[in-house]
Amino acid sequence: MMIGVFLCTCGTAIAERIDVERLAAAVGRLPDVAWCRTVGFLCSEAEKERMEGVLRDEAPDRVVVAACSPREHEATFMGVMEKAGLNPYLLQMVNIREQVAWITPEISRATRKAESLLAGAVARVRRHAPLETKRVEAVPDVLVVGGGPAGIKAAIELAEAGRRVVLVERSAVIGGLPVRFEEVAPGMECGPCMLEPLLGELLHGRLAERIEILTMAEVTGAVGYCGNFTVTIGVRGRGVDRACIGCGECAAACPATAANPYDYGLGTRKAIDFPFPGALPNLPYLDAATCRRAAGEECRACKDACHLGEETVRFDEPVTTVERSVGAVVIATGGEPIDAVRFPALRYGEIPGVYTSVEFERLLSSSGPTGGKLATAGGREPESVAIVHCVGSRDPAHRDYCSGVCCAYALKFGHIVASRFPGASMHHVYRELNLPGKGGAALLRRGGEKSFFHRYRMPDGISLSPGAGGRITVTSDTGQDGITADIVVLCPAIVPAEGTAGLAKIFDTPLDHLGFFEELHGTTDTARGKVKGIYLAGSCREPGDIRQAMLGGSAAAAAIHADIPEGKELEISPVCAVTDRERCAGCGICVSLCPYRAAALVPDGKAEVNQLLCHGCGSCAAGCPGGAISVGYFTREAILAELEGILR
Amino acid sequence: MSETAAFEPRVVGFLCTWCSYAGADKAGAAQLPSPDNFLPIRVMCSGRVEPEFIIRAYTEGADGVLVLACHPGDCHYKEGNSRALQRNRLLRKLLDSFGIEPERCRLDYVSAGEPEKFTRVVSETVEAVRRLGPLRLSREGGLNDGSNDA
Ligand code: FES
Repeated sequence: MMIGVFLCTCGTAIAERIDVERLAAAVGRLPDVAWCRTVGFLCSEAEKERMEGVLRDEAPDRVVVAACSPREHEATFMGVMEKAGLNPYLLQMVNIREQVAWITPEISRATRKAESLLAGAVARVRRHAPLETKRVEAVPDVLVVGGGPAGIKAAIELAEAGRRVVLVERSAVIGGLPVRFEEVAPGMECGPCMLEPLLGELLHGRLAERIEILTMAEVTGAVGYCGNFTVTIGVRGRGVDRACIGCGECAAACPATAANPYDYGLGTRKAIDFPFPGALPNLPYLDAATCRRAAGEECRACKDACHLGEETVRFDEPVTTVERSVGAVVIATGGEPIDAVRFPALRYGEIPGVYTSVEFERLLSSSGPTGGKLATAGGREPESVAIVHCVGSRDPAHRDYCSGVCCAYALKFGHIVASRFPGASMHHVYRELNLPGKGGAALLRRGGEKSFFHRYRMPDGISLSPGAGGRITVTSDTGQDGITADIVVLCPAIVPAEGTAGLAKIFDTPLDHLGFFEELHGTTDTARGKVKGIYLAGSCREPGDIRQAMLGGSAAAAAIHADIPEGKELEISPVCAVTDRERCAGCGICVSLCPYRAAALVPDGKAEVNQLLCHGCGSCAAGCPGGAISVGYFTREAILAELEGILR
Repeated sequence: MSETAAFEPRVVGFLCTWCSYAGADKAGAAQLPSPDNFLPIRVMCSGRVEPEFIIRAYTEGADGVLVLACHPGDCHYKEGNSRALQRNRLLRKLLDSFGIEPERCRLDYVSAGEPEKFTRVVSETVEAVRRLGPLRLSREGGLNDGSNDA
């Protein structure tokens, strides 16, 4: 074996602190060292060129460079090796600058230490093997988690550019919250009308063949990294075949009813039914818990009613697990209102006629439980509606932030009530009004003449109590205005959607101190998550309105195009773990040690490490009781040889 | 006593490349003097360090070993440093039962931004090992220190 050594003096930085001549002589005496060249500035362009020439001419079997820190120039000299036609992993660097010359005051001691480290490197490099960097193409397909405005926008933009998209939605409906709203602020457009063209595009438009929509589905696991994720998705059985045309005969025939979660329990639905009229995809779903069969009855009314044949309805459909490989993940799981029962003074759930904003949206909606008819608890037309702003928002005891969307929708409520019940008065009970944007402030004029504003002071400054005649008394901490209302609407703070923490864990991407997904940078890079390959859109990262969600979806798609253009190649570093099948006893300790789920037991009981997933930390190798795992470039043999060399 | 004064221990360091090795480089850039008795070996992560590496360091003549890792929670590979800590605790117990002082097997945390701490930990370890005196160990792994009755 022929080992060539380059000794860089780094100008005077090393030469002044180490006796380079003595060191070179000592190195020359080490076994297999064919030559040792002392160079002024090895990292300079001229010297790198000369180094390349020397390597070409001499063609050493191994190379040692004693110079600065490998953290600074290992890649540089590996590059020179490659240019000279040598495998870059046949190099070993010795850090005689930062970790010897610059910290050892006495020249003789520094020289002796450098000698030891060089002896280690020479011993070690003999154990190096040529290693190959493999390349694989990044997967261009994208997973979008969440079928609200942000998710559908991202899916559409990606599919428009030719990407395949898997859209996973937890509920039975796509479109998110706005498809359940009658009108949306600030333009007072009809929510479903605004979104339906987009949803139609996804479901059966031009882009449909590139977008796989999985409703009633949740991500259950993920391994991999940017460009190469394998995601497992649990899909709950809908109980209805895709062939269904959505005629609704099954629902009409079904004898079982239960509270409808899509109306927050304000209305009912059949055991087999649509979530609400107009919900897309236009398919009913079977709620097995409500179905008479759950109580042991032999009911099959739905099957009998189906025009397409009884096979279209499926009882006892299990959860199926599907696996998809994608290169990027857009998280667009949104937010939800904080639970209003946390505010005891507001007596939500106790006093009839007190609703949360999303409940009120459903009561106003023509697809809602009352078909859009609003009535008091006693069945009369409302004469007075009060809206309590900032419930839990801007409240250090609950949510310190402004949820950003409530003022606009509260004024929208005022507009709808004023147009439907011209005689009714509208009372906004507020602390601050936040109406930014082009259409924001104009909303203040939408409420008409019977719209009143009452300011309260402290976050907990409002209490509600039952008044005479089924009305509700609103008492504020300013004490001036006594308000009585037939209906009180609470505007709860927007918090991360349920399941956010679990999803963060699955993708190993952090949440911020408020529990929202943390952006790569909160101001300059909000479409990217902290972890490469994870993108964020909509209220999962910060509460926002539909416009912001849509914009976020577009931004996430754009970031994916920038980061993972189609055809992008991923490098697989050879610094990764490999198992020795002969020595592996199949104990599985490596599987439990691997933080990247790269190690797995294959069907014959032996462990294997997926090189695409391995990061090369070597934790498995250190924990393997049989010594059956090694790590490229950091093999046991190499490290032990280095150890022997430096202690020789 | 005079033997102890002349004794120059050798302490092998295993430094993870992401934090501790970077911290050591910073100590160099800041020209903070530290004992030349410390011989560093770079690894990707403290979790790579096999207990065997440490034992071999002793049998090859080291008087002490210092594993330097990223701070808890900061490991570049998420949890390699907590594995290293588990192994270190176990190994110290084992070494103790063989009469090897646990102080000869130290694990500590040095971040890329802690050059002073790097220098302090290295100096402390070298001094602690110096006080303990040379580790007398035969290549076969048995103790041959005459002062030990066992
Ligand atoms: S990378 Fe520093 S301890 Fe794991």
